[in-house]
Amino acid sequence: MRSRRASPEGEAASLRKDSETSFDPSEGPPFRRVLVANRGEIALRIIRACHELGAEAVAVYSDADASAAHVRAADAAVRLGPAPAAESYLRGDAIIDAARRQGAEAIHPGYGFLAERAAFAGAVEDAGLVFVGPTSASIAALGDKLAARRLARAAGVPVVPGTLEPAAVDRADAVEAILADADGVGFPLFVKASSGGGGRGMRRVTARDELPAALAAGSAEALAAFGDGAVYLEREVRPARHVEVQLLGDAAGTIVAVGERDCSIQRRHQKLVEESPAPGLSETERRELHDFAVRVARAAELRNAATAEFLLDGDRRFWFLEVNTRIQVEHGVTELTSGIDLVREQLLIAAGRPLSQATLDAAERAAGPGRHAIEVRLSAEDPARSFAAVAGRVGRWLMPDGPGVRVDTAIEAGDRVPPDYDSLIAKVLVVDVDRAAAIVRLARVLDEVEVTGIQTTLPFQRFVAAHPGFRAAELSTDWVAEHWDPEVAADRGAALEIATRVAVAVAAGGEASGASGQASGARTSAGPKTRPSSPGAIERGDGSSGWLRAAREDDVDRWPQG
Amino acid sequence: MSLSPESDPQVFVVEPTAASRLPGDEARRIDADATAVEWRGQGRGVVHDDTGRATAALLGDDRPAGPGQPRTVEVVVGGWRFELEVEDARRADLRERARRNRGTIAGAGGPLEIHAMIPGRVVAVAVAPGDVVAAGQTLLVVEAMKMQNELRTPRDGTVERVAVGVGETIDLGDLLVVLG
Repeated sequence: MRSRRASPEGEAASLRKDSETSFDPSEGPPFRRVLVANRGEIALRIIRACHELGAEAVAVYSDADASAAHVRAADAAVRLGPAPAAESYLRGDAIIDAARRQGAEAIHPGYGFLAERAAFAGAVEDAGLVFVGPTSASIAALGDKLAARRLARAAGVPVVPGTLEPAAVDRADAVEAILADADGVGFPLFVKASSGGGGRGMRRVTARDELPAALAAGSAEALAAFGDGAVYLEREVRPARHVEVQLLGDAAGTIVAVGERDCSIQRRHQKLVEESPAPGLSETERRELHDFAVRVARAAELRNAATAEFLLDGDRRFWFLEVNTRIQVEHGVTELTSGIDLVREQLLIAAGRPLSQATLDAAERAAGPGRHAIEVRLSAEDPARSFAAVAGRVGRWLMPDGPGVRVDTAIEAGDRVPPDYDSLIAKVLVVDVDRAAAIVRLARVLDEVEVTGIQTTLPFQRFVAAHPGFRAAELSTDWVAEHWDPEVAADRGAALEIATRVAVAVAAGGEASGASGQASGARTSAGPKTRPSSPGAIERGDGSSGWLRAAREDDVDRWPQG
Repeated sequence: MSLSPESDPQVFVVEPTAASRLPGDEARRIDADATAVEWRGQGRGVVHDDTGRATAALLGDDRPAGPGQPRTVEVVVGGWRFELEVEDARRADLRERARRNRGTIAGAGGPLEIHAMIPGRVVAVAVAPGDVVAAGQTLLVVEAMKMQNELRTPRDGTVERVAVGVGETIDLGDLLVVLG
C-alpha cells in the first residue's frame, strides 16, 4: 500500500532510483555525526545503523550506565546526570547541548524517553539540528491520542468508540457530563491518557461508580508520567487482536505501509510476543488495514517511521487506536520479513533522501511476505508474580544463535539491570519460511537461552512457543489471562521439583557452575551434546552476581566422578 | 549418576529462600540418593526421568560451607530461577526443635517487619509512626520500571517505624515499615 501526494518531484525522485539496495554508499553518509538519545538495546541498534551508514555515533548516559554497551560502542559519549530518567535521559536541554558540543547534526531518540515529545522534537529543530523522526507538528498531531482519534475519524478510518475531547477531571461540576459520556460509550470502558503509552494512565472501568476514582488515578498517573493529565474514555473492544501497520514516509510525501504485525499477546498492555505478518488475514483484509494506516499517516503529513495501531474485533473489523511516531520495540520482525532496515531508512529519510525504489518494492512485497518472524521480549520480570519487575545483577548470560535468529540486547554477563528504566533486557527474534516453522525455531531458540542471577519472562515465552493455541494462531489480548494465569503455578511447580533435586545434588557434593572453571571442563560428559564452554558466560568472580567463587579445591574434590 | 562412594546416603531439607518463596512453597525432604543429575559442565545439569535441564550455581557466602552447614543454591530450570536453601535433615531437625522452644516468646502478636518485594524508588509515604492501620491500607508507593506500586499492610496494627523516605531508592529486601 502506497500513497503519494500530488508531488511530481516526489514521483520523479522515487522513479529515478533504480539501485538494488536501499542505501547507495556512493551518496555518502546521511550525517557525519548522530547523537543517540537513548540507552540499552535500542541505543546499540541505532549506533550500529549509524556505523553501517558511515556516520559517527555519540552516546549519552546516566550514572547507572557509565560502562554500558551503548557507551562503549559509540564514538563519543556524554554524561547526562544521575540514574533517574528525569535527571538524565529525559533532559532534552542537556541532550541538545551535548549534540551541539559534539558536532552532531542529528538526534535519534529511539523509543520511550523523549521519542514522542513534540516539544523536544521542536527544540531539536529550533537548534538547527535534525530530529530523526516525524516533524514536531506530526508528533503533536499524532502523539496526542485525542487529536489522533479526531484526525483518523476525519480521514474516514473507523476509530474505537469513545470520547474525542479531554474529560474535565478537575471540575466537580463536570462529573455528570462525564458520566453521561461514559453511558454513551458503554461499559466496560477504558480511561486512557491522551499522552499515554505502555498502559500508563490507563484504567479499566466496569461500572459507573468506579469512574470518578479511575479518572482521578489515571489522570494523576498520566500527569506524573507524561506531564499531561488529560484523559478520555474509550470502549473496551473484547475479544480483540492487536494489529499494527509499519509506516515509512519521506520528505517528498511518499508514504508506504511495510506490512503489519500482530502484538496480541500482552500483559497490562505491555507487549510480550510480536509477529509479522499478522496470521490469518486475507489479502483483502491486509490491504484494507494498510489503507487505513496510510490514510491516517497522510492526514498527519507523516514523515520518517511510525506505526498505526488497530484492534481487530471478533467480527473481523479493524478499529483505529493510535499512531506511535517512533521506531517501535518490535520493529525487528518487520525487518526480518521485509528485508528493510527501518533504522537505516529513518536516518536516510531524516537526511532528506527519498525512499528508494528498492525500499518501495520491498514494502509492496511486505503485503504478502514469504516469511514469518516472531519476537519475544525477554524482560527482567517475574511471571509468577504478575510480571513484577525485578532489578538485579545478571550472572550467566547465554543468548541463542544459529540460523534465522536475531538477538537485540545490550546486556552481558555480570551486568546490573537498574530499577530506574524499562525492564526489557533482550529481544529474541526468529524468522523462517512460514509461521509453523518459525514457532518450531522459536522453541529451539528459547531452549538455548540461559540467564541466571535474575528472574526473566523466559518461562512464559517457552510456554507460549509450546502452546497448541498459539500454534493454531488463536490470538487475543486476553491470551495471558486465559492461558498463562491458570497454568503458571503448575509450570513453576514442575520446575521447582526439578530444581529441588538439583539443589540436593549440588549440596551432596555435586557440581555448581561457579565451581567450574577447568575442573568441570576436565570432566567427561556422559552425553554427546556437551555444549562448548563459554568463559565469558561465567561472571567475573566478584561474587556480587550470585556466581560464587565456590571454585574451591575441596569442593571440586567432592564432586561425583563419572 | 550416584554420589561418590565415600558419602553416606543423606536426607536433605530444601526450601526456597525468602526472596524466592511463593505462597504454597514448602520445605521438602529429599533423599540425595533419589536425585540423578547428569552434569554437563559449567554447572549445567540434566535431570533424568524428566525433561528438565537445569543450570545450578552456589549463592551466598564466599566461603565453602562446612559439613552439615546449610547452603544456598541458585538453580534455573526452564527459565524459572530459584534460590534454594539446602540443609542436612538431621541438622534441620535440631534447629527446628530449638526454634520451637524459643517460639512461644515471640508469638504472632509480635512486630511485623515489611520488606521491599521489588526494588525501586519511594514516591509517597502514606503513614507515620503511631498511625493505626487496617489490613489492606496503603503504606507507601514504590515506583519501579515506571509503574507505581502501592504497598499495603497485610494486617491491622500500629506503625512503629517507617524506615524509608520519599525519593529514596530501595533494593529488594530492604526494611520499609515496622508494624506493632
